[in-house]
Amino acid sequence: MRPLNWLETQSEATFAYVLLAPAFLLLAVIAFYPLLRTFSFSLLADQTAAPTPFGEFIGFDNYAALLTGEALLPQQFFDPSFATPILQQALFVTLAFAILSVLFETLIGFGQAIVLDQDFYGRRWVRVAIIIPYAIPIVIQAMIFYLMFNPTVGFAAEFMQGIGVFGNNPLTNATDSFIIVLVADIWKTSAFMALLILAGLQSIDRGLYDVARVSGASPWQQFKYITLPLIAPALLVAMLFRTMDAMRIYGLIDATAGCQTVPSMSCLVITALQNTRRWATASAVAFLTAVVIGVLVLLYLVSLRDTEAGVT
Amino acid sequence: MGVAGCMGGGDGGSQAIQMSMDGEWADAQEPVVQALYDAGLSEDIDVEFLPGDFETGARQTDFTSALDAGRSSPDIFMMDSGWTIPFIVREQLVNLSEELSSDTLDYVQSDYLSAAVSTASHPESGDLYGLPVFPDYPVMHYRKDLVEDAGYDTSNWSTEPMTWTEFAEVAADVVEQSDVDYGFTTQGADYEGTSCCTFNEMMTSMGGAYFGDHENLFGPVGDRPITVDEEPLYETIRMMRSFMYGPDAENANPDIPQISNSDLVEFTEEPSREPFTSGNAAFMRNWPYAININLDEGFTAGEDYDVMPMPYGVESGEGNYEGTGGTSHALGGWHLTVNPNSQRLDDAIAVLEAFANESVMLTVFEELGNLPPVASVTQSATEDQVGDLANFLDTFAVAADNTVPRPVTTAWPDESPLISGQISDAYRGEKSPEDAMADLESELADIENEGQ
Repeated sequence: MRPLNWLETQSEATFAYVLLAPAFLLLAVIAFYPLLRTFSFSLLADQTAAPTPFGEFIGFDNYAALLTGEALLPQQFFDPSFATPILQQALFVTLAFAILSVLFETLIGFGQAIVLDQDFYGRRWVRVAIIIPYAIPIVIQAMIFYLMFNPTVGFAAEFMQGIGVFGNNPLTNATDSFIIVLVADIWKTSAFMALLILAGLQSIDRGLYDVARVSGASPWQQFKYITLPLIAPALLVAMLFRTMDAMRIYGLIDATAGCQTVPSMSCLVITALQNTRRWATASAVAFLTAVVIGVLVLLYLVSLRDTEAGVT
Repeated sequence: MGVAGCMGGGDGGSQAIQMSMDGEWADAQEPVVQALYDAGLSEDIDVEFLPGDFETGARQTDFTSALDAGRSSPDIFMMDSGWTIPFIVREQLVNLSEELSSDTLDYVQSDYLSAAVSTASHPESGDLYGLPVFPDYPVMHYRKDLVEDAGYDTSNWSTEPMTWTEFAEVAADVVEQSDVDYGFTTQGADYEGTSCCTFNEMMTSMGGAYFGDHENLFGPVGDRPITVDEEPLYETIRMMRSFMYGPDAENANPDIPQISNSDLVEFTEEPSREPFTSGNAAFMRNWPYAININLDEGFTAGEDYDVMPMPYGVESGEGNYEGTGGTSHALGGWHLTVNPNSQRLDDAIAVLEAFANESVMLTVFEELGNLPPVASVTQSATEDQVGDLANFLDTFAVAADNTVPRPVTTAWPDESPLISGQISDAYRGEKSPEDAMADLESELADIENEGQ
């Protein structure tokens, strides 16, 4: 039998898997293999004084050190005794950053999308204006905020100190810098959320709102029973992408306050790899980062499954 | 590193000896290479200066990956004296003691600045792995006009260091009587420059040390005392807090006036230079690279601009440890090292031999403002040879005699950010000096005792 005939006689599910196979193979080579290799590196010891960067097999010792706050790194990944302040532990900094930034981006983006969904004169230009922050390269975005809070040329540091929100040198303080980086990111990526949510909003059948109005539904009820369920898939996908991006944050931090003030998980990998040449520890942090992001993605996929118009 | 182009040694590739330098050296390639030929380098050997990254940390990571990957190009690296030793210990550089001529080796061992040579040698065997090409030591730059207007006589300042207390009084007076915002700028940010240099030299002048006697600077890691939890370090922190926040601030020195502000905790070299160059600072601790910039911006050497040795806390020899006390200047500087994977080892060694000549050192001094690695050459340089820099040679001589290298070992990349982190916390008042140094001691102990 010719292969094409064979394929056509298979069930939907088999057909789908066959179509997915090449993509899966590609993923295996460029994504899974490096991940497994990194994991195998993370089971070895660091060697800073020898020509090769990896030493002998030490099993999970690197992970134990990272998860007990005993790692030989300038900033800690996780310190269960909490002797290190929370915003100086990479795991919490990254999680807090991801949760807060996605939350505010979604709220602000939602507001912007609802406004843009209305028909008004100059709507096109407002859309462009909202998109511009998203078009700015990360380094420029970081430089804007760095310069605003720079001690010699910045204006924002004094202002924020005056109203009592920040301390003396915000770019050297872990909490203040965290807020600065957070605001910088929200400013830029609310536009991304706004666009994706707008796309979802515009695909809702207007007729549904007419029916709702005739039935006497209030605007809030219209929102809760029509808008929200129908854009939930688009919304969750947007939030998923933004969460994955936020968990990987590095460039924005490096160009504003620096990795020693706001240690994210990716920051820690770079520090271990380039500054201290601890490749095994860097591999362990990288693998842990992948695991944490993977867990978060799973949570999203589970909630996507539950939505009515969901993917699976 | 992509600028290197071809991998050296191939048949169709460039036949030049490639040296990874920086942008300023690349611009000065012609006169320096001509000086090499004049000093005896065979004209058959082409030399090319590659403009590497400007920032020292970036160059270190470039070279780390190049040597880890066994790349054959570039043939010669210009390495920061602060991170050459880890490469030596990892056996990633050519042993120059086995390659250079005995004349050159004798010249290096006897005439070159010995502190610079030790940062280019194997900490155990003492073999030479790098040829110092220029040392770098900071000086205290100051506005001579403002100081003299405030009533001070600066005639012997070029060679006679003063105490930090005297310095603070002068700076406070100048701030009061002029309109500068900063009495003093220096680098106090949480970065390598604080642990290696700015804090290191202040602490040394107060009689303190990171690892006890200076014979322990380069090791043995794990077998030397950790001496950070001591009075001279608390004193240094308290003094800086007084400078920035005033004598009444918590954990400050009540006898030292405020002469600057908290911007210092965010300053690295360039941000600390800008207020001075724009006329808004009275004193600045910075490397000599700033001298040419200041002169270009309109200052006149000897009239409104001069340099002096760093102030000190306790007299030389009265510190807690051997080598501490007295005026102290952090030893920076760069070395030329040879790539063991180079395909043209003999030619690369010949280039190094040519660099070890007085005429080349003077050309480098004139073209780039980088000091010669031999003190007598610096002192004998004339104005014809080096221009305005001749005004400051006496101060450089004092600095050269009173240097403190950073404790560079394979553990230093781990230790440096810990040190600058705790110092930054103490400067900003997040911890008391005693708490910060106690925490630092235990963090350093973890690093020193790793693997034991």
